[in-house]
Amino acid sequence: MIFSSIPFLYYFLPAVLVVYFLTPRRGKNAVLLLASLFFYGWGEPKLLWLMVFTIAVFYLCGLAIGRSQRYKKTWLALSACVGVGLLGLFKYADFFITSLNAATGLSLPLLKLALPVGISFYTFQCLSYTVDVYRGAVPPQKNPISFGAYVALFPQLIAGPIVRYADVARELAERTHSWENVGLGLRRFVIGLSKKVILADNLAMLAKLCRESAEPSVALTWVYAIAFTLNIYFDFSGYSDMAIGLGQIFGFHFPENFNYPYLSKSVTEFWRRWHISLGSWFRDYVYIPLGGNRVSKGKWVRNILTVWMLTGLWHGAAWNFVLWGLLFAVLLLAEKALPGLQRLPGILRHGYVLLAVILSFVLFNADTLTQAGRDFAALFGFAGLPLFTKETGYYLRSYAPLLVIACVGTTPLVKLTAQKMGENRAVQMLEPVLWLGLLLICTAYLVDGSFSPFLYFRF
Amino acid sequence: MKKYQTILILTLWGALALWAWFIPSKQISEAERRPLAQKPVFSEKFQTEFESYSLDQFPLRDGLRTLKSLFHTFVLGQEDNNGIYLTNGIAVKQEYPLNTDSVHHAIARFQTIYDKYLAESRCFYAIVPDKGYYLAEESGHLAMDYGDLYAQVSAGMPWAQEIDLRSTLVGQDYYRTDTHWRQEALIPAAVALCEGLGVTPPKAEDFTIAPVERPFYGVYYGQAALPMEPDTLYLMENDLLSQCSVYDYETGKTGSVYDLTKLDSRDLYDMYLSGAKALLTIENPNAKTDRELVIFRDSFGSSMAPLLLADYAKVTLADIRYVQPDMLGQFLDFHGQDVLFLYSTLVLNNSAALK
Repeated sequence: MIFSSIPFLYYFLPAVLVVYFLTPRRGKNAVLLLASLFFYGWGEPKLLWLMVFTIAVFYLCGLAIGRSQRYKKTWLALSACVGVGLLGLFKYADFFITSLNAATGLSLPLLKLALPVGISFYTFQCLSYTVDVYRGAVPPQKNPISFGAYVALFPQLIAGPIVRYADVARELAERTHSWENVGLGLRRFVIGLSKKVILADNLAMLAKLCRESAEPSVALTWVYAIAFTLNIYFDFSGYSDMAIGLGQIFGFHFPENFNYPYLSKSVTEFWRRWHISLGSWFRDYVYIPLGGNRVSKGKWVRNILTVWMLTGLWHGAAWNFVLWGLLFAVLLLAEKALPGLQRLPGILRHGYVLLAVILSFVLFNADTLTQAGRDFAALFGFAGLPLFTKETGYYLRSYAPLLVIACVGTTPLVKLTAQKMGENRAVQMLEPVLWLGLLLICTAYLVDGSFSPFLYFRF
Repeated sequence: MKKYQTILILTLWGALALWAWFIPSKQISEAERRPLAQKPVFSEKFQTEFESYSLDQFPLRDGLRTLKSLFHTFVLGQEDNNGIYLTNGIAVKQEYPLNTDSVHHAIARFQTIYDKYLAESRCFYAIVPDKGYYLAEESGHLAMDYGDLYAQVSAGMPWAQEIDLRSTLVGQDYYRTDTHWRQEALIPAAVALCEGLGVTPPKAEDFTIAPVERPFYGVYYGQAALPMEPDTLYLMENDLLSQCSVYDYETGKTGSVYDLTKLDSRDLYDMYLSGAKALLTIENPNAKTDRELVIFRDSFGSSMAPLLLADYAKVTLADIRYVQPDMLGQFLDFHGQDVLFLYSTLVLNNSAALK
């Protein structure tokens, strides 16, 4: 089930809210766990066992790590092996087999296992739990229902943010429910839903039209690249907004995942603003344990390359994702090696980041490396395409307002304006009209449109 | 947000949810002209079927589709909605790009018919341009490469003589809310066809034009979901047509050229020769000659055929979307009749349904 669907918005969520708030405090985590398993099983009934198995293994390993000083490393290793092993089996096995076959000439058969939705997110959450228990940062969760509710929690189960156990441990035991939280959560949810349905889905349509163009051109390929760059931002940040909003309704405070990344003036800054929960996860559980930057220069470069190769692989089991990650590693290293870059005018640094990000997403969204090569050739006029066609003009004209709205939406301008207007009493009175209006418009798009899964659904 | 505002939002959201849970299911959508998904029974496909059901049966579905279209058009400034655009109040489908494979498929189907049945016949073809041919360029929208389409059909049907209708029509000769041409505007096109076929062309004064009282909401009305005034459908009548009889091979029944039982149907255009029919024969007892005509056609032929009848004692209409060409020989005797292939650019560009 996805948030931007009629079954979720008008069947699942209202039913869960009613049952949740009617249930006494003691039973609320059980309601959340059952609802989350239903939510997950709705789309993946055959892989529900995997979720339950993962919860059971990490719950038991967490307990064992907490109780045994002598074998706690063994239990940590076991939990890591199970988590990484399942992730490797379901997500990466065929990628490695294909690569091995290509490199050696073998023809090992592919496993062709279905990718469990959200496996990358909940595996990382589980790993952070056992590592934090091992480090003594958090006590192990003794209540299996509370632990299950943490892992399976439907607001952030499918596409994050990656909520560490430490972030919500206290709220799993004791959280506040208030009208203020519900109101703020509703508002955040509707904002996220609008970003996804009104902006991201229409930008995805533009990117698709450019992709399938009968008259491709250099300009249209740039439109495609920009449309996809905006699409992935609104798609993913919209989902994060919805997750954070839902969490708040249920009394949780999830970490922020995006902070206007397209305003960045360096790639380093970009990754502090984009998918923040993933970046900080890799920093705390891979980069720093490897030694971070407190090692020799050679090892530091190795650490950077390792983290970014893994970041790329986390996004998908294909070489374009690996290259995508390594591209950022190279840019980050270059920024460290060339401190003079920081003295360039802000507009130039901003332009460089935007260009790097747009090109990186062209690589990210290519089906194959060959496709990526064709896209780059088209972008820079080496594919024999005309500069501009009638079709390019049509799509630019048709989507210009959306592109402008989307570009403005990547800045804090809307938020700041809304905050300023929000000081007006009349505007405050009309606030429910705005959120209900947006909800109705999103509903109208869903009713009229087709199924639109999230881009990050596959990760 | 204040507490009462949160409660207001939750109440209205919940009310809509309750409405969605308990709304009685509708069988069909009048606006979209399609059956709606029904509440699924439990099965392996339950989730997918429930998604479809929840979308199709959502309360105020038509109103919400209109809301989306208005927002899409006037707030996001999109030039088309669901592939339909409005220009001067006329709804047009953006038929783009040219699907060469589809055109070749259509030509191959026509070739099969020619090889099997038409060795003795004089063969003609006429392509019916869709509205986009006249309206896309001036309104700045995309349209297929019509020149290429005509060239491909011409090269692919060397055994048939072309009758070019392009100069006989204008954009206003089509319904505003529908894909089809208006019968009362077809005299110039009918004249071109008759002259090409070598028979007496119709004259406007030979007909009386009677409006159908019920408003006509065409197929684009539902697809665009934008506020539009309905069309009026007119029937061109005269004594010759009223004395013709139409035999339907599927039902074995005989009726008239204009099917008044379709006055209550979802698509008023079905009044012309009863709408989608695989095989019909019009008998004309007052024909000036004993010549016969076979028309391989799509729905555009339904409103055109009555205007071609004057000289023909018998006109047969075959729609190979609904009947296998191989089976035609079981019903029809091909013996050198005039043959006209009358197909719209819409069908040629989306010809998968041609058998």
